[in-house]
Amino acid sequence: MYFLEKAKLPQLFELLKRDYEIYGPVQDEVSGEVIFDRVPESSGFDLEAPIPYNPPKFVLFPHFEEILKYHYERQTKRVAIERINLLQPKVLLGLRSCDLTGILCLDRFFLGQEFVDEVYLEHRKKLFIISNTCVRPFPQCFCVCTDSGPSAREGFDLNLTFTGPGYLVEVGSKKGQKLVEELVLPEAGPEASRLKKRIIDDSVLSFDRVALENKAWISRATNRLTTGFVRSEVWEYIGHQCFECGACAFVCPTCSCFNIEDVNFRTGDTYRVRTWDSCSFEGYTKMAGDHNPRKPVEDRRNKRFFCKLSYSQSKKYLRPGCVGCGRCARVCPGDIGLPNVVTYIRREITGD
Amino acid sequence: MLVSTMVPIVTVPEVATVVDIRDEIAEVKTFYFVFDNPEIERSFRVRSGQFIMCTVFGAGEFAVSLPFSPENDRRHISVRKVGKVTAALHELQPGDKIGIRGPFGNGFPFEEIKGQNIIYVAGGIGLIPLRSSIVHVLQHRSEFGRVILVYGARSSRDLMYKESIQEWKATENFETYFTIDRPEPGWSGEVGFVNQLVARLELPVEKTVAFVCGPPVMFNSVIKELKAKGIKEQNIYSTLERHMKCGIGKCQHCAIGRTLVCVDGPVYTYKQIKTLGEQI
Repeated sequence: MYFLEKAKLPQLFELLKRDYEIYGPVQDEVSGEVIFDRVPESSGFDLEAPIPYNPPKFVLFPHFEEILKYHYERQTKRVAIERINLLQPKVLLGLRSCDLTGILCLDRFFLGQEFVDEVYLEHRKKLFIISNTCVRPFPQCFCVCTDSGPSAREGFDLNLTFTGPGYLVEVGSKKGQKLVEELVLPEAGPEASRLKKRIIDDSVLSFDRVALENKAWISRATNRLTTGFVRSEVWEYIGHQCFECGACAFVCPTCSCFNIEDVNFRTGDTYRVRTWDSCSFEGYTKMAGDHNPRKPVEDRRNKRFFCKLSYSQSKKYLRPGCVGCGRCARVCPGDIGLPNVVTYIRREITGD
Repeated sequence: MLVSTMVPIVTVPEVATVVDIRDEIAEVKTFYFVFDNPEIERSFRVRSGQFIMCTVFGAGEFAVSLPFSPENDRRHISVRKVGKVTAALHELQPGDKIGIRGPFGNGFPFEEIKGQNIIYVAGGIGLIPLRSSIVHVLQHRSEFGRVILVYGARSSRDLMYKESIQEWKATENFETYFTIDRPEPGWSGEVGFVNQLVARLELPVEKTVAFVCGPPVMFNSVIKELKAKGIKEQNIYSTLERHMKCGIGKCQHCAIGRTLVCVDGPVYTYKQIKTLGEQI
């Protein structure tokens, strides 16, 4: 482990700027909300800012992305198709462990199944990840229930842990090692591991005091969802609470459903565009000819929670699909953020 | 034996030329195509029951099942005009280009069912995905037991692949039955719904698989009759259709139960379909 003095942070920033577009927690001047976004070159950044409103998945999986461009000249029957590949290397700076876990889920889903998603792979190959341990939780957090925090165990190039005077720095890759060497960071000393453990323990202990908004004991819910022993009345209640706005999917670090459309430009070029989508939308499963096999809203909501918590979906992520960030509970206009849904399912078991 | 070792076309469509277009029934046309790249034209292999993603340039992409046999059959798709992209496809003329990705999906069993009796039951354009398997099995006729086709449509005008049907009627050791909903002058086949015809026929039960494809109402009523005859649910196969965007298990539009139709299907046994917990 290495040590990075707080005063040396600007130097790290400058070094990263040379090779990467920098994304990190940025405080919105108007609302005061922390957004995970492109860090403006001039302004400073605050690694200890609260958990951002949005997860960083858009960096790897943009809201709107042109994946193909083609031109068909019908008179001459000439077709030109090209891959669009103008991606800059990017760094995710100050990523929380929940969000890093979200990226690991996306990696396993996009890269580890029957087919490799080539578009995602291009983004991923050019990504540098600097995660940051949560030395204190935020009110919405429940990563300790989903085994995804408060500190990252894998998947980072560098992992930071704030100690007061500076940061403990763990190296997770060759790329990370190179950066540490360029910064000429000193070794953190023999006490570093014990110090880090104490910081994490303190953070975990403070969940009871600070992280009061959400709790989710998901293992029993996982069992129920997987075996299908959730009563239809429970799904109906959840369905009635759903506004079908899609917000939960858009702020979820692991939701990755997308739509594809071909968009014609006046130039005669067509762009194949992929955009975020949500299984809560009624048109999501609708087929041409008006057949929709998944019409009732409770069918669609049931799908989302099956995706987050069932054992069969967890096999694709190698863990539950929920990372305990609490964002869905914050944005849901009903009361069916994931922690509440877990509660409804558990209530059915315990009869409370 | 044909082994499919070809790597599917995953992201960038391969350009193909529509060489021939035929009217099948109202709103359904068949498009014969040839890949522009001779290497792809030579190596492109499919299994019966798989599907492709077809790009109509300037309109979009749609998933479509494959009606041609994996061996010695002209490559084509048969498509009903139902939405924006298929309407644009229907506007194409011979010589126009389309894009192809795939083939994707699991496909009907072939090797596994050798030596068994096969009952094909199709309704309307449900014959399209079954045609591939029928032609393939007939190409290997001696390796299977009884082979039976029960095909129904609303009227004689709604029967797909009239040319193939003529050929099949004349094929030895291929028991074919055709039915239309109401009597018509000049019609010599059966009259009534497919499920009623299935109920009347003497069909094998032991060592028998059934491939069923058609609209949901027909599907459910046929399954009932086949089960009543004693055919086991795990020996009844069908192919499902879903709204698909990627074909490679990523966009999740075709999720049904714990499976994705594009990679875990589109072919399912009725035993599996029952556990998926959704309308077909």
